[in-house]
Amino acid sequence: MSMQPTLLSSLKEHLTLAKELRHLEIHFYPEKCKGVWQCYEVCPVGCWTPNYEARVAIFHDPEKCIACGACVLQCPQDAIELK
Amino acid sequence: MATVFMKWLETSPTAYDRGIQLLTLGRIQRIKERIANAYVHAGMRVLEIGCGTGTLTAMMAARGAEVTGIDASPSMLAEAERKVAQEGLEDHVTLKYMDAVLIGERFPPASFDLIVSTLVFSELSPYEQRYILEACKTLLAPNGRLLIADEVIPTGALRRLFYYVVRLPLALLTWLLTRTSATALRDFESLLEQTGFQARAVASHLGGSLVLYDILPAEIARAEANLPPTVIGRLQHRVTFRTLLLDLWLLFFRIIPPYPKVRTGLYMIGNPTPESPVLVTGNFDLTVRRVVKAIDGKVNVWLLVADSAGINVWCAAGGGYFSAEKVIAAVKSSRLEEVVRHHALILPQLCANGVDGWRIRKEIHWGVHWGPAKARDIPAYLDANRKKTDAMRWVRFPLKDRLEMVTVTLGFYGLLILLPVFIFWRPMFWPITFSIVGLSYFYAIVHPWLPGRDGLYKSIPLSLIALAGLLVYTTVWNPLPAVDLFHWMVILTGLSVFTGAELQGMSPLMRGEQANWGWEAVIGLALVALYWLVPLALGWR
Ligand code: SF4
Ligand code: SF4
Repeated sequence: MSMQPTLLSSLKEHLTLAKELRHLEIHFYPEKCKGVWQCYEVCPVGCWTPNYEARVAIFHDPEKCIACGACVLQCPQDAIELK
Repeated sequence: MATVFMKWLETSPTAYDRGIQLLTLGRIQRIKERIANAYVHAGMRVLEIGCGTGTLTAMMAARGAEVTGIDASPSMLAEAERKVAQEGLEDHVTLKYMDAVLIGERFPPASFDLIVSTLVFSELSPYEQRYILEACKTLLAPNGRLLIADEVIPTGALRRLFYYVVRLPLALLTWLLTRTSATALRDFESLLEQTGFQARAVASHLGGSLVLYDILPAEIARAEANLPPTVIGRLQHRVTFRTLLLDLWLLFFRIIPPYPKVRTGLYMIGNPTPESPVLVTGNFDLTVRRVVKAIDGKVNVWLLVADSAGINVWCAAGGGYFSAEKVIAAVKSSRLEEVVRHHALILPQLCANGVDGWRIRKEIHWGVHWGPAKARDIPAYLDANRKKTDAMRWVRFPLKDRLEMVTVTLGFYGLLILLPVFIFWRPMFWPITFSIVGLSYFYAIVHPWLPGRDGLYKSIPLSLIALAGLLVYTTVWNPLPAVDLFHWMVILTGLSVFTGAELQGMSPLMRGEQANWGWEAVIGLALVALYWLVPLALGWR
């Protein structure tokens, strides 16, 4: 009874999610970065490294990124986008 | 696949409505009608705590009241919004995403003539209940009243017996049909009295287990100002029969709700002082026990358990169940600032994908530190004065975790694949069971050495290995007829793809399993078509 609509709608939701998730990529705007290292603190796969002299974060290993969104949410400068 | 199943297990707003109707045998509707008809007048300012799908919200707005509905579930709110718009009541209704605990901070004093809440308090811990009741007192305008309808455990032995006999089967049925579950209040009347309210039960249904309380602030406010410290108790690492059983269940069926939860609130681990650090975590039983196991006997800390809907922090934060709102609510309702002398929270790093640290810093002025990714690193992290090494920061997926996650996924196969096979395709049951189990554990072991970072790519070498094994089997041990050989090739390829893609969702190191969902479905369908069409086309059999 309750199964059909829920199953169908979740199927649809997952197909759209799947499409989005595959293509998400980190866009980093170093000019906005103030070097508070929140991105480095929270990234679970080590995509970010602080450059302490220049006070700017370095985004490397983009292919490691799992698009979890942690760095985007915690960056106080909106220097990171996931799209 | 698993996520679709999970989605189904998750209560959808409409299923929730039906579930509650069934669980209360329709009585909740009567209570709501009574509230709207007997207590609500035009122009009244009403706050509904936990408006859910907005049934009562719309009823009260239709009577001319200005209703503010809050709820901590975005999907419920969306449904409420739809309902309100459908009846053209948008002008009289304000809907807000808000944790019930925070009403005192978000609305000015004396801003409501009526506060209503149905089936919300029973979901909260006693400390949260008390905190919200306190807030209600300041939010109510003079002559304002509070109406609470909820499930209560009836008083009296006979009634109680009747309650359990009727309720348990009903609860099971409701869960099966709608995945909705509910709990019941204990000793609610004495809590009301302690917080300075006078309560009168004005409606009682189902043998006294569903009650509507009409509540007025009492003349003399009792000693509410100096409440006892809100520490729930001390958590210790213990292995008991219960934890063993629970671990066994969680090993296979972790993904099936209702999830075992720990009561939210403030706990001690060891003998913390007001200077000791405060760790925050979610209320999934296994998470809490793992944290306790990792630090009990090593360091003294406060553990603040916030509501993550009984889900581990990583998934809960990613899915919107664990948020800054929930952490703030836990800090407030436990009156943490009265217990410790500092203002610093240590959050699990793995909830950073959903808990907005800056909101916590700005809104309640507590410092937020991102602790290590794994609980076992907490003592070292604290010893080093909250300094994280890269090893503590980066998530790995070691063999032990891979084996565990494969077992968790196998619990699913049992339901998703093996059950239908057992029922409709009995002769294949054991061969398929052995193939799945073998493939899964093999995959778990060789996972890091298979090329590609994506579960779907990794399933290509996996299926090649499986096919090679099949070839060896048919040439060395048991020559299979062409049809069977072909069918097994298809089955093994399918199972490999499924295994590869499923484990991806369980690994914190790969993009969510959903990323592969479309491909998984396409490949699956293609394989099923091959399975039937090729032998037909070639005229085998
Ligand atoms: S989205 Fe997640 S994995 Fe990707 S860089 Fe940000 S924190 Fe790291
Ligand atoms: S969190 Fe934002 S501002 Fe801070 S270092 Fe990273 S990118 Fe720069």
